[in-house]
Amino acid sequence: MTEKNKKITHRAKFSLKCFVNGEKVERDLDSSRSLIEFIRLDLGLKGTKEGCGEGECGACLVLVDGKAVNSCLMMAIQLQGKRLITIEGLKGRDGGLHPLQKTFMEEGAVQCGFCTPGLIIASEALLRENPDATVEDIKRGLTGNLCRCTGYEKVVSAVRKAQKLS
Amino acid sequence: MPELILKPGTLKELWLLPPAPGGSRKYLAGGTDLVSGSNAGMDASQVWVDISDIKELKGIRETKNSLIIGSGVKISELSGSGLISRWLPALRSAIPHFASPSLRNMATIGGNAATASPCADGVCALCAERADVWLELGGKKRKIALQNFFSGPKKTVLRRDELITAFEVPKWKHAGVYLKLGPRAYFGIAKASVAVALELDGEKVRSASITLASVSPVPLMAVKTANYLKGRVLNYDNARTAAALVKTEVSPITDARSEAAYRREMSGVLLERALNSVILTGRMSQVAG
Ligand SMILES: Cc1cc2nc3c(=O)[nH]c(=O)nc-3n(C[C@H](O)[C@H](O)[C@H](O)COP(=O)(O)OP(=O)(O)OC[C@H]3O[C@@H](n4cnc5c(N)ncnc54)[C@H](O)[C@@H]3O)c2cc1C
Ligand code: FES
Ligand code: FES
Repeated sequence: MTEKNKKITHRAKFSLKCFVNGEKVERDLDSSRSLIEFIRLDLGLKGTKEGCGEGECGACLVLVDGKAVNSCLMMAIQLQGKRLITIEGLKGRDGGLHPLQKTFMEEGAVQCGFCTPGLIIASEALLRENPDATVEDIKRGLTGNLCRCTGYEKVVSAVRKAQKLS
Repeated sequence: MPELILKPGTLKELWLLPPAPGGSRKYLAGGTDLVSGSNAGMDASQVWVDISDIKELKGIRETKNSLIIGSGVKISELSGSGLISRWLPALRSAIPHFASPSLRNMATIGGNAATASPCADGVCALCAERADVWLELGGKKRKIALQNFFSGPKKTVLRRDELITAFEVPKWKHAGVYLKLGPRAYFGIAKASVAVALELDGEKVRSASITLASVSPVPLMAVKTANYLKGRVLNYDNARTAAALVKTEVSPITDARSEAAYRREMSGVLLERALNSVILTGRMSQVAG
């Protein structure tokens, strides 16, 4: 084995450099740290939820380089050099609540709230890509998010209302 | 979770890595299968190799006769690609049926093949598009037909540590469509799916490829049915006969998701619907050759 190979083999820790909610972050982490552990345990950002750990429920959604991803299925090492936005990082233009955060409250699209961060992130990703999304587009865009309380109708009206605000 | 994840920056660095202890390397691409399996306690490997940022595995490009799709291309990148829209109608029509929007942002087309699930949507469509797959081991490359890549459920011809680097798909003049029957309209594992690619000459089928998923141990090339259509006029009667024929080609099983008899019946229904949709729209939508 060459000297170089040895170095690669034994590097159990790595130095993660990325942006979290607009701020530069540098951390030494175990290479096997998952993204959701990094977010909840290392950064203490508890808005992102873990429901299933299998990609089914969408409670763990965050934005990486502007795209919604399931943080339960990503490893922290895959965030190297990228930009992470969690629910805590979504803000309105005035620095207050984001339009989706407001309309989810106004429309009563939140009951127990466990699914809400994921639904808001999915809705934000959807509206960034397709600001004129129809009700059908919104339903399709939220297929990866489960909510056991609201029945989804109020979620869809909250997204419709946010479209008009932004 | 593994004890260690290695992250080579390039393919050259990847081939310098020492062998993983106790078996083949696990490559981490989008992680949608690997990490979910590991979270569910189904992966015991100690070392993963993160290939998600290796540039050589990314991008879709075109040569004179084919498209080259990097194994690291995400499913959502396929949907945004003008080249895919232009040349691969069956693959394009499979994308909305693939998982959820966020999973499409993560899942790669290479991972879809390597997992070798009998219900994989992306590779089922690519088989109908007549794709080849490029493999590499220690810098040595080989190319095989994608349909020969699968050797059983979750089994492939990949050698120890061998990597899928790309798919090569011919540019040919054809219409194509993908239909999937799942437990709900979107986001569910299929009970049966069918991908159809038809080269048309006026009213007639010059050549056809038909692939089905979830109804056999590997993506099934319905060769008898494709041969039946070859040279025939594409009309509703012939579509019905093809649908009856395809039911004799599938070998579905009963499992938690569906029953064998229902899957067999629905293979015919899906094929007939797919062919009928080409009759209605396909001649106009046939890609330029
Ligand atoms: C909730 C959920 C829903 C899903 N729905 C669908 C669906 O509707 N349709 C569908 O087809 N699939 C679906 N899948 C399966 C999965 O998303 C796909 O198979 C995906 O394409 C896998 O790609 P990946 O990049 O995430 O692979 P990974 O999870 O990173 O890897 C999967 C396996 O392939 C190996 N591998 C990855 N890349 C390579 C390579 N380049 N060379 C060699 N080996 C490699 C890995 O070592 C690993 O064993 C779903 C999965 C989940 C969790
Ligand atoms: S916790 Fe990630 S999808 Fe359920
Ligand atoms: S509000 Fe309770 S799960 Fe959605």
